[in-house]
Amino acid sequence: MRGRPQVQPVSSRRRSPYRGYVYVLPALAVYLTFAVLPALHTAYLSLFEWDGVTLGDWVGLGNYQEILQHPVLRRSVFNALVLVVFFSFVPIVLGLAMTGLLGRHRRPGMGAYRFLFMLPQVVPLVAVGVTWRWLYGDDGLVNQAFRVVGLDGVTRAWLGDFGAALIAVGLVGTWVLSGLCMMLFLSGVHKVDPSLYEAARIDGAGPAREFVSVTLPHLRGELAVALTVTTVAALASFDLVYVTTNGGPGEQTTVPGLLVYRLAFSEGEVGLAAALAVVLGCVMLAIVYLVNRLSRSQS
Amino acid sequence: MGSTHPTRRRVAAMTCAVALALPLTACDALTPGSAAVVPGPRSVPSSTAVPDEDITLRLEFADAPLMVDALIAAFEKDHPTISVQPHYKTFPDYVQNLKLTMTSDTAPDIAQYAVGMNDLAADGQILDLAPYREAYGWDDAIPPVSLDQLTAGRRSEATGGRALFGVPAGLSMTGIYYNKKLAERAGIGSAPRTLAEFEDQLTAAKEAGLTPLGVGALDSGGIHLWAALLNQTMPTDDYWDWVNGAKGATIETPAGITAGELVVEWGRKGYYNESANGTAQIDSTARFTQGDSVFLINGNWAAGQLAAVMGDNVGFFPMPGVQASSPTVASGFSVSYAVSSRTEHPEAAGVFLDFLTSPEAGQIISDHGFLPPNPEAVAKPEGVLADIAEGHRRAVADDGITTFPDFAAPAMLDRLRSGVQKLIADRVKPADYLDSLQDQWEEHHAR
Repeated sequence: MRGRPQVQPVSSRRRSPYRGYVYVLPALAVYLTFAVLPALHTAYLSLFEWDGVTLGDWVGLGNYQEILQHPVLRRSVFNALVLVVFFSFVPIVLGLAMTGLLGRHRRPGMGAYRFLFMLPQVVPLVAVGVTWRWLYGDDGLVNQAFRVVGLDGVTRAWLGDFGAALIAVGLVGTWVLSGLCMMLFLSGVHKVDPSLYEAARIDGAGPAREFVSVTLPHLRGELAVALTVTTVAALASFDLVYVTTNGGPGEQTTVPGLLVYRLAFSEGEVGLAAALAVVLGCVMLAIVYLVNRLSRSQS
Repeated sequence: MGSTHPTRRRVAAMTCAVALALPLTACDALTPGSAAVVPGPRSVPSSTAVPDEDITLRLEFADAPLMVDALIAAFEKDHPTISVQPHYKTFPDYVQNLKLTMTSDTAPDIAQYAVGMNDLAADGQILDLAPYREAYGWDDAIPPVSLDQLTAGRRSEATGGRALFGVPAGLSMTGIYYNKKLAERAGIGSAPRTLAEFEDQLTAAKEAGLTPLGVGALDSGGIHLWAALLNQTMPTDDYWDWVNGAKGATIETPAGITAGELVVEWGRKGYYNESANGTAQIDSTARFTQGDSVFLINGNWAAGQLAAVMGDNVGFFPMPGVQASSPTVASGFSVSYAVSSRTEHPEAAGVFLDFLTSPEAGQIISDHGFLPPNPEAVAKPEGVLADIAEGHRRAVADDGITTFPDFAAPAMLDRLRSGVQKLIADRVKPADYLDSLQDQWEEHHAR
């Protein structure tokens, strides 16, 4: 770098704003090709009535009008919101609780804990779904456990029960995402300056007070990340539902992601599916924006 | 400066977006589907002559790979100049990619018939085989009812008669299996002759403390049950009109309501396995082999497995009619093959399809657990397979093989599955269920 002048000649100074773009060009190209263009293409397809084979018909925004009147849409949105509770709120609460218990001190066997809680994240969701389908089955582990403690009356095929199916699917999500939240929060806690805890203790704070006043405020960033990731996972959930219940019984577990898939691949309504995907994408972007905005405005 | 920057950036972003979108909208070639140009002829030639050269046919399929391998081996032995390259896909993969595959430049010469084929036929992507039907005399080798399932609801432009978009190599049919020992314990002597008699037997089984009827309604078992009952209550011609999308056809009939009410009533009376809605069809079969229910609704595709596990302890009958004199009507389809419009060898493909109707092929099909299209040409099966063959013979004689209801529209399967689940759980009125089906039907056939 020797000899490079602090003040550059006029000509190179003019060029400099563009030089940055050259560096991001490869990444930008990949991003454009595999994320932005497909998204735009989806939005473009949503303006056609197209069965996936024959020539499509331009219908403008007609698909959006139609998709908002889809008979199953309201139910599927409701289901997705219920899943947000199980995929997002419950894991975050559990993650915070675990962090409160494990976060401050190095305890023996932490590595094993981490491994166990991270495991559901590592296993592919389809495998998770198949496993839980067995667990929830007629003779599955869940029912066996109920029988062992004498609750024979409670047993049922959980995924086929109109009342229980959605909750059963939601709990699988809780199982998958709790570990992720806990890991996020634990790593966040380790960043907190130990002197803050010392100061809190000198001021006479107990463990609960310490958690609320020191730990929680410092986890704001991690909370925002966890909330974003898990909410998106709930709203975009497809694989888990597809493998465990395929939306049944009735429409009890049908989610928007499943509708997109069905419309596009089994019903030959590619335009309608694209419209729903665009709407779903916009809703998720709005939520992510909101979460980020909230977490920032507090600081 | 601070306030103009974001605005300027936003303007730049907008310009970029418009610049990207403009060529997209301006260019007609980007209209989705414009790449799938309909190729040359829409039907096969009317002669059976085959060019004298070495030909390779590519065959894509999703069912019974062992049977297909055996059929190809026998065919290639008879026709040394024609070789067939099989390409197997799992059923979900096959169905999901079917339209893309068949409209691509690399479409296989021959492909297994599946739900999406109706649209492909309408679009001219698969060949009308009606000329071959006459030239090869397929009506003599195969019960015409099996061929008439493969018209895609169209008339042939080449012959003026019914079109033909596939040739069956093995038929399927649904019905009721029963566990002979459990039936005896419930005091059930023989297969029922009427629907009322069957209901009495279900009651008897319930009173004997057994689960009367196993249903795997998590996927398609419930649909088979409803369709089997509908077969008895609804005139087959009306049903065919509905499935084929004939103008003015409807499923919202008293017959449809009756079938739905039966499904609900049987649920209320506790005739089904308690977890019917959470049990996949294949699991319901496994539980039946373990003696969990007296009866089981399923198709002949389960017969091989049931015969292997239960031996002589299992029997089969088609769902009985309302009266003893009623025709035998059962749902069924076939493992059939269609010919792509893009093939360069429609003549050789015809020879292969014709081979499927031969007695030799029939025996191979029968050996692999399917119903051969021409049962007379095949050694008599035994045990439950004989029950099925007999039931199928009666249904064919009565012109009573109806296609599955999901063929009515691509989106019908999901409506049917979730609707029947609700019927079983007593969560929907039969009339509302039929209404949801009819809505879907009208949406599809209005176009």
